[in-house]
Amino acid sequence: MDIEFYKEQLSAKEDMLARTTKYLTDIRFDLQEKNRELHEAHNDILGSIRFAELIQRSLLPDISILKIFFQDAAYEVKQQIGIGGDAVFIKNTSQGIAFGLTDSTGHGVPAALLSISGSLMLNELTTSIEIESPNVLVKLLNYQLHNTFNSNQHSIAHMEGTVCYYSTKKRKLSYCSANGKAILFNKKGELRELSTGKYSIGENLADEFENFELDIMPDDRLILFSDGLTDQFGGEKNKKFSRARLKQLIITHCEKPVDEIKQILTDEHLNWKGSNQQTDDVSFLIVEF
Amino acid sequence: MTYNNLEFELIYECEYSKLYYNYELMMAICLAEQEYIPISNFKTMFLKVSDLIETFPIKHLIFDKRNLRTFHQPSMEWYFAIWKPIVKEKGLVSHYKILPELDWFEKAVEAGKHEIIKKYGKEILNGLNIFYVKSIEEAIENVNKN
Repeated sequence: MDIEFYKEQLSAKEDMLARTTKYLTDIRFDLQEKNRELHEAHNDILGSIRFAELIQRSLLPDISILKIFFQDAAYEVKQQIGIGGDAVFIKNTSQGIAFGLTDSTGHGVPAALLSISGSLMLNELTTSIEIESPNVLVKLLNYQLHNTFNSNQHSIAHMEGTVCYYSTKKRKLSYCSANGKAILFNKKGELRELSTGKYSIGENLADEFENFELDIMPDDRLILFSDGLTDQFGGEKNKKFSRARLKQLIITHCEKPVDEIKQILTDEHLNWKGSNQQTDDVSFLIVEF
Repeated sequence: MTYNNLEFELIYECEYSKLYYNYELMMAICLAEQEYIPISNFKTMFLKVSDLIETFPIKHLIFDKRNLRTFHQPSMEWYFAIWKPIVKEKGLVSHYKILPELDWFEKAVEAGKHEIIKKYGKEILNGLNIFYVKSIEEAIENVNKN
Protein backbone atom coordinates (compact mmCIF):
# COMPACT_ATOMS: atom_id res chain seq x y z
CA MET A 1 0.00 0.00 0.00
CA ASP A 2 1.41 3.33 -1.00
CA ILE A 3 1.34 6.73 0.58
CA GLU A 4 -1.65 7.72 -1.60
CA PHE A 5 -3.73 5.02 0.05
CA TYR A 6 -2.95 6.35 3.53
CA LYS A 7 -3.60 9.91 2.43
CA GLU A 8 -7.00 8.94 1.04
CA GLN A 9 -7.83 6.88 4.10
CA LEU A 10 -6.85 9.75 6.41
CA SER A 11 -8.94 12.20 4.43
CA ALA A 12 -11.89 9.74 4.48
CA LYS A 13 -11.46 9.28 8.25
CA GLU A 14 -11.48 13.04 8.85
CA ASP A 15 -14.51 13.40 6.63
CA MET A 16 -16.27 10.55 8.46
CA LEU A 17 -15.49 12.09 11.82
CA ALA A 18 -16.71 15.54 10.74
CA ARG A 19 -19.96 14.19 9.26
CA THR A 20 -20.69 11.98 12.25
CA THR A 21 -19.94 14.80 14.68
CA LYS A 22 -22.26 17.14 12.80
CA TYR A 23 -24.95 14.46 12.66
CA LEU A 24 -24.72 13.79 16.40
CA THR A 25 -24.63 17.52 17.19
CA ASP A 26 -27.77 18.03 15.09
CA ILE A 27 -29.45 15.17 16.95
CA ARG A 28 -28.43 16.71 20.27
CA PHE A 29 -29.90 20.10 19.32
CA ASP A 30 -33.00 18.40 18.02
CA LEU A 31 -33.39 16.45 21.27
CA GLN A 32 -32.82 19.60 23.32
CA GLU A 33 -35.55 21.35 21.34
CA LYS A 34 -37.92 18.38 21.71
CA ASN A 35 -37.12 18.26 25.41
CA ARG A 36 -37.93 21.98 25.73
CA GLU A 37 -41.23 21.46 23.88
CA LEU A 38 -42.07 18.47 26.08
CA HIS A 39 -41.24 20.46 29.18
CA GLU A 40 -43.48 23.31 28.01
CA ALA A 41 -46.32 20.91 27.18
CA HIS A 42 -45.87 19.19 30.53
CA ASN A 43 -46.06 22.52 32.36
CA ASP A 44 -49.15 23.51 30.37
CA ILE A 45 -50.87 20.24 31.22
CA LEU A 46 -49.79 20.48 34.84
CA GLY A 47 -51.10 24.08 35.03
CA SER A 48 -54.42 22.98 33.55
CA ILE A 49 -54.69 20.09 35.99
CA ARG A 50 -53.88 22.34 38.94
CA PHE A 51 -56.61 24.77 37.89
CA ALA A 52 -59.04 21.91 37.22
CA GLU A 53 -58.19 20.60 40.69
CA LEU A 54 -59.29 23.91 42.21
CA ILE A 55 -62.54 23.75 40.24
CA GLN A 56 -63.26 20.15 41.22
CA ARG A 57 -62.35 20.79 44.84
CA SER A 58 -64.70 23.78 44.95
CA LEU A 59 -67.53 21.43 43.94
CA LEU A 60 -67.02 19.31 47.06
CA PRO A 61 -69.78 19.91 49.62
CA ASP A 62 -69.45 21.86 52.83
CA ILE A 63 -68.80 19.47 55.71
CA SER A 64 -70.59 21.84 58.13
CA ILE A 65 -73.94 20.74 56.64
CA LEU A 66 -73.27 17.19 57.82
CA LYS A 67 -72.23 18.50 61.21
CA ILE A 68 -75.69 20.04 61.65
CA PHE A 69 -77.34 16.64 61.25
CA PHE A 70 -74.74 14.47 62.95
CA GLN A 71 -72.70 14.64 66.14
CA ASP A 72 -69.63 14.82 64.02
CA ALA A 73 -68.49 14.28 60.45
CA ALA A 74 -65.39 14.49 58.31
CA TYR A 75 -64.29 13.49 54.85
CA GLU A 76 -61.17 13.26 52.76
CA VAL A 77 -60.86 13.22 48.97
CA LYS A 78 -57.41 12.68 47.53
CA GLN A 79 -57.47 12.22 43.78
CA GLN A 80 -54.57 10.39 42.20
CA ILE A 81 -53.40 13.32 40.04
CA GLY A 82 -55.19 16.20 41.75
CA ILE A 83 -58.34 15.63 39.75
CA GLY A 84 -60.17 12.33 39.59
CA GLY A 85 -63.28 10.27 39.93
CA ASP A 86 -64.02 10.25 43.67
CA ALA A 87 -66.69 12.56 45.00
CA VAL A 88 -68.67 13.21 48.15
CA PHE A 89 -72.30 14.18 47.98
CA ILE A 90 -74.36 15.92 50.69
CA LYS A 91 -77.89 17.30 50.37
CA ASN A 92 -80.21 18.18 53.19
CA THR A 93 -83.94 17.69 52.74
CA SER A 94 -86.88 18.73 54.88
CA GLN A 95 -86.91 15.42 56.77
CA GLY A 96 -83.26 14.52 56.92
CA ILE A 97 -80.10 14.40 54.97
CA ALA A 98 -78.93 12.52 51.91
CA PHE A 99 -75.23 11.86 51.58
CA GLY A 100 -72.94 9.53 49.76
CA LEU A 101 -69.60 8.76 48.23
CA THR A 102 -69.07 7.87 44.57
CA ASP A 103 -66.11 6.48 42.67
CA SER A 104 -66.22 6.92 38.88
CA THR A 105 -64.55 4.59 36.37
CA GLY A 106 -60.82 5.06 36.03
CA HIS A 107 -58.97 8.09 37.26
CA GLY A 108 -57.52 11.34 35.97
CA VAL A 109 -59.28 13.68 33.55
CA PRO A 110 -62.00 11.32 32.19
CA ALA A 111 -62.91 10.17 35.68
CA ALA A 112 -63.08 13.80 36.83
CA LEU A 113 -65.45 14.70 33.98
CA LEU A 114 -67.67 11.76 34.83
CA SER A 115 -67.51 12.48 38.53
CA ILE A 116 -68.49 16.14 38.07
CA SER A 117 -71.33 15.14 35.74
CA GLY A 118 -72.52 12.57 38.27
CA SER A 119 -72.36 15.06 41.15
CA LEU A 120 -74.33 17.65 39.17
CA MET A 121 -76.92 15.04 38.24
CA LEU A 122 -77.26 13.96 41.87
CA ASN A 123 -77.69 17.57 43.00
CA GLU A 124 -80.28 18.23 40.33
CA LEU A 125 -82.19 15.08 41.20
CA THR A 126 -82.32 15.89 44.90
CA THR A 127 -83.41 19.45 44.14
CA SER A 128 -86.27 18.49 41.86
CA ILE A 129 -87.76 15.66 43.93
CA GLU A 130 -88.02 14.81 47.59
CA ILE A 131 -86.05 11.65 48.02
CA GLU A 132 -86.10 9.49 51.10
CA SER A 133 -85.27 6.20 49.42
CA PRO A 134 -81.67 6.22 48.23
CA ASN A 135 -82.32 3.44 45.74
CA VAL A 136 -84.77 5.71 43.89
CA LEU A 137 -82.04 8.30 43.67
CA VAL A 138 -79.54 5.69 42.46
CA LYS A 139 -82.01 4.34 39.89
CA LEU A 140 -82.61 7.83 38.51
CA LEU A 141 -78.88 8.49 38.41
CA ASN A 142 -78.36 5.13 36.70
CA TYR A 143 -80.91 6.15 34.08
CA GLN A 144 -79.34 9.57 33.50
CA LEU A 145 -75.75 8.35 33.42
CA HIS A 146 -76.59 5.49 31.10
CA ASN A 147 -78.55 7.68 28.71
CA THR A 148 -75.91 10.39 28.70
CA PHE A 149 -72.76 8.31 28.31
CA ASN A 150 -73.55 4.73 27.42
CA SER A 151 -76.68 4.58 25.29
CA ASN A 152 -75.05 4.35 21.84
CA GLN A 153 -71.98 2.35 22.63
CA HIS A 154 -70.44 -0.07 25.04
CA SER A 155 -70.58 0.98 28.63
CA ILE A 156 -67.65 3.34 29.05
CA ALA A 157 -68.70 5.40 32.02
CA HIS A 158 -70.07 4.23 35.30
CA MET A 159 -69.62 4.78 38.98
CA GLU A 160 -69.62 2.79 42.17
CA GLY A 161 -70.69 4.15 45.48
CA THR A 162 -73.05 4.29 48.40
CA VAL A 163 -75.92 6.74 48.72
CA CYS A 164 -77.52 7.14 52.16
CA TYR A 165 -80.50 8.91 53.59
CA TYR A 166 -80.70 9.58 57.30
CA SER A 167 -83.98 10.49 58.91
CA THR A 168 -83.18 12.44 62.04
CA LYS A 169 -86.65 11.95 63.48
CA LYS A 170 -86.77 8.18 63.00
CA ARG A 171 -83.05 7.69 63.62
CA LYS A 172 -83.13 5.39 60.63
CA LEU A 173 -80.47 5.07 58.00
CA SER A 174 -81.49 3.96 54.54
CA TYR A 175 -78.81 3.21 52.07
CA CYS A 176 -78.31 1.90 48.59
CA SER A 177 -75.00 0.43 47.61
CA ALA A 178 -73.88 0.30 44.01
CA ASN A 179 -70.80 -1.75 44.68
CA GLY A 180 -69.96 0.79 47.35
CA LYS A 181 -67.93 0.12 50.45
CA ALA A 182 -69.23 0.99 53.91
CA ILE A 183 -68.57 -0.04 57.51
CA LEU A 184 -70.72 0.71 60.54
CA PHE A 185 -68.84 0.78 63.84
CA ASN A 186 -69.06 2.11 67.35
CA LYS A 187 -66.80 3.22 70.16
CA LYS A 188 -66.82 -0.25 71.70
CA GLY A 189 -64.98 -1.54 68.67
CA GLU A 190 -67.98 -3.41 67.26
CA LEU A 191 -67.87 -3.30 63.51
CA ARG A 192 -70.04 -4.46 60.66
CA GLU A 193 -69.55 -4.25 56.91
CA LEU A 194 -72.69 -3.14 55.11
CA SER A 195 -74.17 -5.20 52.28
CA THR A 196 -72.80 -4.30 48.89
CA GLY A 197 -75.02 -4.14 45.81
CA LYS A 198 -73.58 -5.90 42.78
CA TYR A 199 -74.28 -3.34 40.06
CA SER A 200 -72.45 -0.13 39.22
CA ILE A 201 -74.40 3.00 38.36
CA GLY A 202 -74.78 3.79 34.65
CA GLU A 203 -73.90 0.36 33.27
CA ASN A 204 -77.27 -1.09 32.48
CA LEU A 205 -80.80 0.31 32.54
CA ALA A 206 -82.24 -2.97 33.76
CA ASP A 207 -80.03 -3.20 36.85
CA GLU A 208 -81.87 -3.32 40.14
CA PHE A 209 -80.73 -1.31 43.12
CA GLU A 210 -81.92 -2.40 46.52
CA ASN A 211 -82.67 -0.25 49.52
CA PHE A 212 -81.47 -1.29 52.99
CA GLU A 213 -82.56 0.13 56.32
CA LEU A 214 -80.70 0.22 59.59
CA ASP A 215 -81.71 1.31 63.06
CA ILE A 216 -79.02 3.54 64.34
CA MET A 217 -77.84 3.52 67.93
CA PRO A 218 -76.44 6.61 69.60
CA ASP A 219 -72.71 7.05 68.95
CA ASP A 220 -72.77 4.68 65.97
CA ARG A 221 -70.40 5.71 63.25
CA LEU A 222 -70.46 5.06 59.55
CA ILE A 223 -67.54 5.17 57.17
CA LEU A 224 -68.02 5.15 53.40
CA PHE A 225 -64.84 4.67 51.39
CA SER A 226 -63.60 4.12 47.86
CA ASP A 227 -61.46 1.12 46.92
CA GLY A 228 -58.53 3.47 46.31
CA LEU A 229 -57.91 3.38 50.05
CA THR A 230 -57.82 -0.42 50.44
CA ASP A 231 -56.21 -1.08 47.04
CA GLN A 232 -53.20 1.14 47.66
CA PHE A 233 -49.97 -0.75 47.03
CA GLY A 234 -47.18 -0.29 49.52
CA GLY A 235 -45.73 -1.50 52.77
CA GLU A 236 -42.62 -3.65 53.09
CA LYS A 237 -43.84 -6.31 50.65
CA ASN A 238 -45.60 -3.90 48.27
CA LYS A 239 -49.02 -5.38 48.97
CA LYS A 240 -52.47 -3.82 49.02
CA PHE A 241 -53.43 -1.81 52.08
CA SER A 242 -56.44 -4.17 52.33
CA ARG A 243 -59.83 -4.02 53.99
CA ALA A 244 -58.54 -6.09 56.92
CA ARG A 245 -55.96 -3.41 57.73
CA LEU A 246 -58.62 -0.70 57.48
CA LYS A 247 -60.91 -2.63 59.84
CA GLN A 248 -58.07 -3.12 62.31
CA LEU A 249 -57.29 0.60 62.24
CA ILE A 250 -60.95 1.42 62.83
CA ILE A 251 -61.12 -0.97 65.80
CA THR A 252 -57.88 0.39 67.27
CA HIS A 253 -58.97 4.01 67.02
CA CYS A 254 -62.75 3.64 67.36
CA GLU A 255 -62.95 5.80 70.48
CA LYS A 256 -61.14 8.76 68.98
CA PRO A 257 -62.96 11.80 67.58
CA VAL A 258 -63.98 11.59 63.93
CA ASP A 259 -61.49 14.25 62.84
CA GLU A 260 -58.69 12.32 64.50
CA ILE A 261 -59.73 9.09 62.78
CA LYS A 262 -59.74 10.97 59.49
CA GLN A 263 -56.19 12.15 60.12
CA ILE A 264 -55.04 8.66 61.17
CA LEU A 265 -56.45 7.09 58.00
CA THR A 266 -54.90 9.82 55.85
CA ASP A 267 -51.50 9.35 57.49
CA GLU A 268 -51.70 5.55 57.39
CA HIS A 269 -52.50 5.64 53.68
CA LEU A 270 -49.57 7.96 53.06
CA ASN A 271 -47.19 5.82 55.14
CA TRP A 272 -48.35 2.65 53.43
CA LYS A 273 -47.92 4.23 49.99
CA GLY A 274 -44.37 5.31 50.80
CA SER A 275 -42.51 6.14 47.63
CA ASN A 276 -45.05 4.28 45.47
CA GLN A 277 -47.41 6.09 43.16
CA GLN A 278 -50.93 6.59 44.51
CA THR A 279 -52.75 3.57 43.04
CA ASP A 280 -56.15 5.17 42.58
CA ASP A 281 -58.29 8.07 43.76
CA VAL A 282 -58.85 7.82 47.49
CA SER A 283 -61.80 9.06 49.47
CA PHE A 284 -63.69 8.33 52.66
CA LEU A 285 -66.44 9.94 54.65
CA ILE A 286 -67.14 9.37 58.35
CA VAL A 287 -70.25 10.40 60.26
CA GLU A 288 -71.06 9.93 63.92
CA PHE A 289 -74.81 9.61 64.60
CA MET B 1 -14.15 -20.42 -0.36
CA THR B 2 -16.80 -22.54 1.36
CA TYR B 3 -19.70 -21.22 3.36
CA ASN B 4 -22.49 -23.44 4.72
CA ASN B 5 -21.08 -26.33 2.64
CA LEU B 6 -21.46 -24.30 -0.52
CA GLU B 7 -18.53 -23.54 -2.76
CA PHE B 8 -18.06 -19.90 -3.75
CA GLU B 9 -15.88 -19.15 -6.72
CA LEU B 10 -13.41 -16.26 -6.56
CA ILE B 11 -14.30 -13.83 -9.35
CA TYR B 12 -12.14 -10.84 -8.52
CA GLU B 13 -9.59 -9.79 -5.97
CA CYS B 14 -7.34 -6.87 -5.19
CA GLU B 15 -5.41 -6.02 -2.04
CA TYR B 16 -8.48 -4.33 -0.54
CA SER B 17 -11.33 -6.66 -1.43
CA LYS B 18 -12.50 -9.97 -2.89
CA LEU B 19 -15.57 -10.98 -4.84
CA TYR B 20 -17.04 -14.51 -4.73
CA TYR B 21 -19.95 -16.09 -6.57
CA ASN B 22 -22.21 -19.12 -6.16
CA TYR B 23 -24.42 -20.07 -9.08
CA GLU B 24 -26.79 -22.32 -7.13
CA LEU B 25 -27.73 -19.56 -4.68
CA MET B 26 -27.42 -16.85 -7.32
CA MET B 27 -25.35 -15.04 -4.74
CA ALA B 28 -22.27 -12.82 -4.78
CA ILE B 29 -20.16 -11.98 -1.74
CA CYS B 30 -17.98 -8.85 -1.49
CA LEU B 31 -15.37 -9.09 1.24
CA ALA B 32 -13.60 -6.04 2.58
CA GLU B 33 -10.02 -7.14 3.30
CA GLN B 34 -8.63 -3.90 4.72
CA GLU B 35 -9.66 -1.12 7.08
CA TYR B 36 -10.39 1.06 4.10
CA ILE B 37 -11.21 0.50 0.42
CA PRO B 38 -10.18 3.41 -1.82
CA ILE B 39 -13.06 4.71 -3.90
CA SER B 40 -11.59 3.53 -7.21
CA ASN B 41 -11.23 -0.05 -5.89
CA PHE B 42 -14.65 0.13 -4.30
CA LYS B 43 -16.18 1.10 -7.63
CA THR B 44 -14.20 -1.56 -9.49
CA MET B 45 -15.44 -4.30 -7.19
CA PHE B 46 -19.07 -3.25 -7.42
CA LEU B 47 -18.86 -2.76 -11.18
CA LYS B 48 -17.58 -6.35 -11.37
CA VAL B 49 -20.86 -7.34 -9.75
CA SER B 50 -22.88 -5.39 -12.31
CA ASP B 51 -20.79 -6.95 -15.09
CA LEU B 52 -21.17 -10.43 -13.65
CA ILE B 53 -24.91 -10.09 -13.43
CA GLU B 54 -25.00 -9.70 -17.24
CA THR B 55 -23.73 -13.29 -17.63
CA PHE B 56 -24.77 -15.07 -14.44
CA PRO B 57 -27.89 -14.44 -12.44
CA ILE B 58 -27.30 -12.66 -9.13
CA LYS B 59 -30.27 -12.16 -6.85
CA HIS B 60 -28.47 -11.78 -3.56
CA LEU B 61 -25.41 -9.80 -2.62
CA ILE B 62 -23.56 -9.93 0.68
CA PHE B 63 -21.17 -7.15 1.55
CA ASP B 64 -19.03 -8.15 4.50
CA LYS B 65 -17.59 -4.90 5.90
CA ARG B 66 -16.35 -6.30 9.19
CA ASN B 67 -12.74 -5.39 8.39
CA LEU B 68 -13.59 -1.79 7.51
CA ARG B 69 -12.80 0.97 9.98
CA THR B 70 -13.37 3.96 7.73
CA PHE B 71 -16.75 4.72 6.32
CA HIS B 72 -16.34 6.55 3.03
CA GLN B 73 -19.25 8.84 2.26
CA PRO B 74 -18.61 9.44 -1.50
CA SER B 75 -18.37 5.65 -2.06
CA MET B 76 -21.66 5.17 -0.25
CA GLU B 77 -23.30 7.94 -2.24
CA TRP B 78 -22.10 6.37 -5.48
CA TYR B 79 -23.44 3.00 -4.30
CA PHE B 80 -26.91 4.42 -3.61
CA ALA B 81 -27.30 6.90 -6.42
CA ILE B 82 -25.50 5.23 -9.35
CA TRP B 83 -24.83 1.56 -8.79
CA LYS B 84 -27.95 0.38 -7.00
CA PRO B 85 -30.50 1.42 -9.67
CA ILE B 86 -28.42 -0.38 -12.32
CA VAL B 87 -28.19 -3.74 -10.51
CA LYS B 88 -31.78 -3.53 -9.39
CA GLU B 89 -32.75 -3.19 -13.03
CA LYS B 90 -30.61 -6.23 -13.82
CA GLY B 91 -32.35 -8.44 -11.25
CA LEU B 92 -30.59 -8.03 -7.90
CA VAL B 93 -33.21 -8.47 -5.17
CA SER B 94 -31.55 -8.37 -1.78
CA HIS B 95 -28.46 -6.91 -0.24
CA TYR B 96 -27.12 -8.34 3.01
CA LYS B 97 -24.79 -6.06 4.94
CA ILE B 98 -22.44 -7.11 7.70
CA LEU B 99 -21.05 -4.22 9.73
CA PRO B 100 -18.16 -4.32 12.18
CA GLU B 101 -19.52 -4.58 15.72
CA LEU B 102 -18.48 -1.04 16.59
CA ASP B 103 -21.01 1.50 17.81
CA TRP B 104 -19.08 4.44 16.36
CA PHE B 105 -18.92 2.78 12.94
CA GLU B 106 -22.66 2.14 12.99
CA LYS B 107 -23.21 5.80 13.92
CA ALA B 108 -20.97 6.89 11.04
CA VAL B 109 -23.04 4.74 8.65
CA GLU B 110 -26.23 6.23 10.12
CA ALA B 111 -24.87 9.75 9.66
CA GLY B 112 -23.85 9.00 6.08
CA LYS B 113 -27.23 7.50 5.23
CA HIS B 114 -28.99 10.46 6.82
CA GLU B 115 -27.06 12.84 4.60
CA ILE B 116 -27.83 10.81 1.48
CA ILE B 117 -31.56 10.76 2.33
CA LYS B 118 -31.45 14.52 2.85
CA LYS B 119 -29.86 14.97 -0.55
CA TYR B 120 -31.86 12.45 -2.62
CA GLY B 121 -35.03 11.85 -0.60
CA LYS B 122 -36.24 8.72 1.19
CA GLU B 123 -36.94 6.97 -2.12
CA ILE B 124 -33.20 6.45 -2.53
CA LEU B 125 -33.53 3.62 0.02
CA ASN B 126 -36.19 1.84 -2.04
CA GLY B 127 -35.46 -0.88 -4.51
CA LEU B 128 -33.39 -3.59 -2.90
CA ASN B 129 -34.34 -5.51 0.22
CA ILE B 130 -31.66 -4.54 2.70
CA PHE B 131 -30.82 -6.85 5.61
CA TYR B 132 -28.26 -6.32 8.34
CA VAL B 133 -26.83 -9.64 9.52
CA LYS B 134 -24.00 -10.76 11.78
CA SER B 135 -22.27 -13.23 9.43
CA ILE B 136 -22.14 -14.58 5.90
CA GLU B 137 -23.55 -17.88 7.19
CA GLU B 138 -26.57 -16.08 8.62
CA ALA B 139 -27.20 -14.34 5.30
CA ILE B 140 -27.01 -17.66 3.41
CA GLU B 141 -29.40 -19.29 5.89
CA ASN B 142 -31.79 -16.42 5.40
CA VAL B 143 -31.68 -16.81 1.62
CA ASN B 144 -32.21 -20.59 1.92
CA LYS B 145 -35.19 -20.08 4.22
CA ASN B 146 -36.88 -17.75 1.77
